[in-house]
Amino acid sequence: MCLLLIAPRALVCKNTTIEGDVQIGNGTVVHVGASIIAKNGPIIIGANNIINERAVITNIHSTPLAIGDDNLIETDAVVEGRGMGHRNTVQVRGRIAGSSTLGNNCVVGVMCSTGPAESISDNTVLFGSMQSRRIRADAQAELTAAHRKHLEYIHEMLPRYNHIIEAE
Amino acid sequence: MPAVLYHCACSSAAMRHPEPAHSLEMPGGDGNKNTGSCSVLVSPVDDPQLPSFALRVSPLESLYYCDHCSSVRCTRCVVEEPAGYHCPNCLFDVPTASVRSEKNSCARNCFHCPQCTHVLSVVEEPSDSSGGADEGGEQHLPFSLSCSLCCWSSREIGWCFEKATGISAHVERLRAASDRTKEHAALLDHWRSVQRASASSSSSASAIHSAAAFKHRLAAAASKDTGVPEYRSPTSAAAVGDAERAQMAELMSLENADCLSRPDLLPQRIRLHMKLARRCRECHHILIKPVPKAQATQFKIQLMAANFLPAITLPTRLSLKHPPLPPPGPFVVDRVAPVVLRFANPLYTEMTVRVHQAPASSTQVHLDLPTLSFTLPPFTELWEYDEDEDEDISSSNLAGTPDQSAVVDRHANRVAIQIAVTPLAPAPNLTVPLHITCTHFDDFDAEKDSNSSAAAAAAASTQSPGRTVTNSFWVYLLLGPAH
Repeated sequence: MCLLLIAPRALVCKNTTIEGDVQIGNGTVVHVGASIIAKNGPIIIGANNIINERAVITNIHSTPLAIGDDNLIETDAVVEGRGMGHRNTVQVRGRIAGSSTLGNNCVVGVMCSTGPAESISDNTVLFGSMQSRRIRADAQAELTAAHRKHLEYIHEMLPRYNHIIEAE
Repeated sequence: MPAVLYHCACSSAAMRHPEPAHSLEMPGGDGNKNTGSCSVLVSPVDDPQLPSFALRVSPLESLYYCDHCSSVRCTRCVVEEPAGYHCPNCLFDVPTASVRSEKNSCARNCFHCPQCTHVLSVVEEPSDSSGGADEGGEQHLPFSLSCSLCCWSSREIGWCFEKATGISAHVERLRAASDRTKEHAALLDHWRSVQRASASSSSSASAIHSAAAFKHRLAAAASKDTGVPEYRSPTSAAAVGDAERAQMAELMSLENADCLSRPDLLPQRIRLHMKLARRCRECHHILIKPVPKAQATQFKIQLMAANFLPAITLPTRLSLKHPPLPPPGPFVVDRVAPVVLRFANPLYTEMTVRVHQAPASSTQVHLDLPTLSFTLPPFTELWEYDEDEDEDISSSNLAGTPDQSAVVDRHANRVAIQIAVTPLAPAPNLTVPLHITCTHFDDFDAEKDSNSSAAAAAAASTQSPGRTVTNSFWVYLLLGPAH
């Protein structure tokens, strides 16, 4: 029994792989080639997220995988885990592995990965080839502004060049 | 891997054998002298077993050629000098006059992140956000430095700027006002006065320059049994106690201390890079001169040896019509093995090449090679397009060439010869020294060159408007193991 719920203002391209129970919130953008696969439990994606090409979101657990608001999941990133909070960035080929969770304002850097069962606290930055970590101090005001601009641009440009799944 | 390495005469001349190196030049002095000059050839004397052998030979690509001295120059017999400074991040060309005053660092907005050493970028915080309200009645400073990799922000250490330009100067002002900088300047003054005092009292004061001597002095200062006047810190905040002195001495004795994760580090300005020009050590003529602009990758002057000397290779195939050659070897002691060498002429003029072998006593191999002389046709771009002309040329050229038995192929500007190598002893890497003398007629810029002493002799002997240039050098064939 598959159930796909897309909020009215969400943009989901047609050439995506969406399986299982998936809810996509208002304003969220799912680019071409992204995969959202709910194998067991449902996947609930909040508002104003950007999920880029070839990103993979998989729920292998029976509990819901909840993704908050204003997150950016970049190209080739992999989100398994049990969920994440708000305003996080998973950069290119970043990975939230196993049953880890992400707090708010976190950044998983390029090619960085969480442990198999970690709970990453708020404002943590994973970066570098040594998988270093630090706690960021800035309030991320400029980043949310950039995210908003990014979303506005995508909402304007994406429907011109892609087929969009109509919300029901 | 089999390889062909070229020997630069500077190493033997400067380090070990001044006279043999001089006699090496002799056969090159007269282009018409023939095999009789072989008697003055001295062995290359570089024992391949020595560890220093690798320092004295180089592949052709890394050698230079001074056309004024008509000789090969390696990286050790050139003089390097700066040809321009630039910032590797913003590619700004820094005038040489201001490099020192800028402390060899970029004077614009280029900084290294103190946490991850990534490059920082200037970001603007929108003034209507909550971040601006934190500063209360103070002026809102919207710009800060931010690291895109680890999300470090200069707001963490209180660095905010009014303008997006000239941040470096602002940072320098901040730094100059800090206690640390004052302490450092005072320490420098103090130790300079100590050094001056000790230099006047003892003659062996030069050791103070070394880091080890400084550490020693610091340890002595920590243990308080010192003969130097006591240092008084100008700033009370930065004054260090005995415990901190001991800790500092301990820190300095650590190797590779991991200090990157310390939160109190400040961003560092990015160091300038330098483009180098290279000159001949003998005549100071320029061999390499890059275009000084940072964006340019071209060279104004580039005298590489590969453009003047024949390229000698161990070919895997002579031409498309021939079957592929087997790799040289295996080499067994007292058994003859053929090795094919190919010479290619990079010049637009014809080149005469003579190949001598080293005296038998000095090598690990026996070569069945009489003194061989042949002509390399000039390099022409058109050769790359014709396929069937080489038959005629090879037959006509071969007829007039002495010692043609060793020449196995001619094609375009290339000649392949075959030598028979007989190892005399087992060796991990069988090395065959060959002495090459190549002569060509250079009609370019004859008047100017004939003024020089080196070219005058050659020009006088030929009595022609150009000059005959002769290069002689040793090459080493590294052929792999011999059992």
